[in-house]
Amino acid sequence: MGATASQLDKGMLSEYQELTFLTKQEILLAHKRFSELVPKEEIDRINCRIPMSLILTLPELKSNPFNERICKVFSTSDIKDGSLSFDDFLDLLSAFSDSATLEIKSHYAFRIFDFDDDGTLGRHDLEKLVNCLTGGTDDTNLTPDEMRQLIDNILEESDIDKDGTVNLSEFQHVISRSPDFVSSFKIVL
Amino acid sequence: MTSFLNRQDSYQEYDYFPGDAYPGDHHSLRLRRLSSGRSIHNIPHYNPSLSDGGDSEDDNQGQPRELRSLPRHMAIKKAKLKSRGIQVPVLSKAEMWKQDKLKKLQKLQNKAREILFFLALWGKTLQKIGGNFGGGVQSYFLFLRFLVILNFVSFLLMAGFVIIPSLVFRQVGVSFMNSNSTGEEICTVYEPNPPGLVVFYDYFLNLLSGTGFMEYSFMFYGYYNNTMVEDRNFSYKIPLAYLFTAIFYFAFCLICIVTRMGSAARVAVATGGSTAVNYSMIVFTGWDYGCLGDTATKLKQKNLLYRLQVDLEEERLKKHAASLTLLQKFGLHSLRLLMFLLVLGLNIAAFFGIFYATRYSQAQQNQSAGIQALFYEYLPSVVISAGNFLVPLLCDQIAKVERYSPSITVIVALLRAVVLRFVSLGVLLFTLWDQITCKGKINDLKCMLCGYNYESYPCWETRVGQEMYKLTLFDLLINIALLVLVEFPRRMVVDNWSSKISQLVGRQEFVVSSSVLGLVYSQTVVWTGALFCPLLPLINTVKFVILFYCKKITLFSNCRPPQKTFRSTTSAFFFLVVLLLGWMLASVVLIYSIAVIRPSLGCGPFRFSDNMWSVVPKSLYSLPLVTQEFLFFLGSQAFTIPLFSLSSLVMFYVIALFSIYGKSVRLLRQQLKGESRDKQFLVKQIGELSQ
Repeated sequence: MGATASQLDKGMLSEYQELTFLTKQEILLAHKRFSELVPKEEIDRINCRIPMSLILTLPELKSNPFNERICKVFSTSDIKDGSLSFDDFLDLLSAFSDSATLEIKSHYAFRIFDFDDDGTLGRHDLEKLVNCLTGGTDDTNLTPDEMRQLIDNILEESDIDKDGTVNLSEFQHVISRSPDFVSSFKIVL
Repeated sequence: MTSFLNRQDSYQEYDYFPGDAYPGDHHSLRLRRLSSGRSIHNIPHYNPSLSDGGDSEDDNQGQPRELRSLPRHMAIKKAKLKSRGIQVPVLSKAEMWKQDKLKKLQKLQNKAREILFFLALWGKTLQKIGGNFGGGVQSYFLFLRFLVILNFVSFLLMAGFVIIPSLVFRQVGVSFMNSNSTGEEICTVYEPNPPGLVVFYDYFLNLLSGTGFMEYSFMFYGYYNNTMVEDRNFSYKIPLAYLFTAIFYFAFCLICIVTRMGSAARVAVATGGSTAVNYSMIVFTGWDYGCLGDTATKLKQKNLLYRLQVDLEEERLKKHAASLTLLQKFGLHSLRLLMFLLVLGLNIAAFFGIFYATRYSQAQQNQSAGIQALFYEYLPSVVISAGNFLVPLLCDQIAKVERYSPSITVIVALLRAVVLRFVSLGVLLFTLWDQITCKGKINDLKCMLCGYNYESYPCWETRVGQEMYKLTLFDLLINIALLVLVEFPRRMVVDNWSSKISQLVGRQEFVVSSSVLGLVYSQTVVWTGALFCPLLPLINTVKFVILFYCKKITLFSNCRPPQKTFRSTTSAFFFLVVLLLGWMLASVVLIYSIAVIRPSLGCGPFRFSDNMWSVVPKSLYSLPLVTQEFLFFLGSQAFTIPLFSLSSLVMFYVIALFSIYGKSVRLLRQQLKGESRDKQFLVKQIGELSQ
């Protein structure tokens, strides 16, 4: 299970093709990029994990404001440190590929935005989300009043059962009305 | 408990939900139903034991596809694969090949789109401007780019059909046809190049005012002759080409503007105008994960920040306006009425100033020479520019008192300044017409002989062309002068000298409405003058390109980011509406010059006709009989009246369609609201039933 030293055998390749939205070339490219990141001493270990700091050096993820959340969501490590194995890496690329379905993308987008991992988007999650979108530093944030007004508006528009949080189906309801979500939720190596 | 389970089954049977519009929604709600025995709120989503999740996905791609659409980790998917005992690979070679080709095609399309964006004129610059200064300023530069392309294409039109044939025929040395002139001999005398030595600086003065060596050149109408070339199977009449090119140029510009307006209007209608702002949409779907690099990311973040701030501010203002008491509303409206009257008064004062200045300059022009003559020639332009500078400035201060919302403020400022600019141009044209046709009275002493004021205007078309050329040039010089003499010093003063005054004044802000007005004004001048000065579109293209770079430089060096931002979609539409107004003004001038005024006898391709349009009927008679009959039929009443009634029918139908679409958009929006209320009700029901 998982990637061995430097080769992917044919069986595993077709298995990955079956289980992800990636083509053969994309899987091979992912393997190549992943192997470049593995530190020299671990290159022969089966199922090695790359720490989050190394993953974030990839140019596609480096300046993305959600990069840490993405790593944490796709990581299967027990200590929840955001480290990714090759399987996790493929999961990530599959969800962000251009043939992934709207359901997959919206599911993972919801989990990425759920900063406290409680299954819903509460006020704190939405506040952190907006700060990520606008810049995160003091002079690029909205004022507290504007933030409150914005979050009130968002909850009024999308919180259908009026419980003060946005759950997965409400989130997917909003997403399904947007025509270019699928094309913007895309990372290609 | 059992009754509840039965009810659950009955839900599954009757399938309450209205449709499969949102399969994902449907699916996840069904998940909720299945697990409703455990809890209603905060359902654990990541429970891998829900093994039915994979099977109810879209099955249209066949059974083996399901596993990849399962939002679980790879280990779980592998386990499922094993548990199903399906041998890998399952996909046939043909299907895999098809998938591969589809992906390659998509990649090609994306690459093509990227290249097209790269090739688009100034694409990167516009993106940079949009990121740093917001959508409003970017819409000004987009508008400028549109005008540059429009002017360049019009120049190609003119060059292809009028200038190059004239050049070729002149070189070839084709003699032009001389029909018998019916007027007096004196009317045909036209001496554009004064004999004798000229002072050296006269060349420079001539360049600025279009006289002297520039007058009898391809620049102006007077140079073209009514050359007619006839070969065995090829004939080309310059007068006809000239006329039809001018008319087609106007029609082409109209089509371009209306098409662009159509796409802007479609966006406005689809989003329901400015009333339906969807914050959740912006926040949840606004980020582009393909953004690479720090600069692109920061640009996108700034964009999003501006967008959110604009929308929030508009909403705040709307709430504030709606919350005023009746007395406050009355006070506000009466204040606005007072300001409107004040603005009207200012405009009228400006008009009279321009009128008297133009009259005075026309009177003085014939009695002076050298630098003084130049001054009198440019007097109308100076007064017009001064008026166009001062009055909007005052209007801006007035607008601060009126306290409209940001987008409405821009539109109101635009409309006010538009009225001023167009009527000032109209006053100039009116005084010219006044002089040329002796106030329209043909029997006046000066105009009786030739049909126009021969003494002052031996070739009046060239003269009108020269006026338009002067206006264009002066506009450009003023813009550059403002840049160098006002904006750069202002920045240097504010940056280096920290006193209270400089703090108060601050770095300047890029005012979009007055800049757009400048563009519309220049374009109207070019349209008015295109008939008389065929090279004017080319000059305008060069001028707009210079203007683009000047404005870009001043934007990045001297301006601060706007404090107040405004929505750019509706304002882009308004820019085009104002441009259309300018087009209408220019087309009135065109129709009048073609159909009514007698062309000069001394110059130009129409010198032997009563009016420019009469060349067309004359050449019609040389066409074969069938074509003649057909064209006469087109012009007759038997054709135009049915055509008119048919077009009115089509127009009524389109208007009806438009109102129906508006109604259905409103209805759908209400349905959406109703649906969300239904869901709330159902959730409440489920909650009650589970207790």
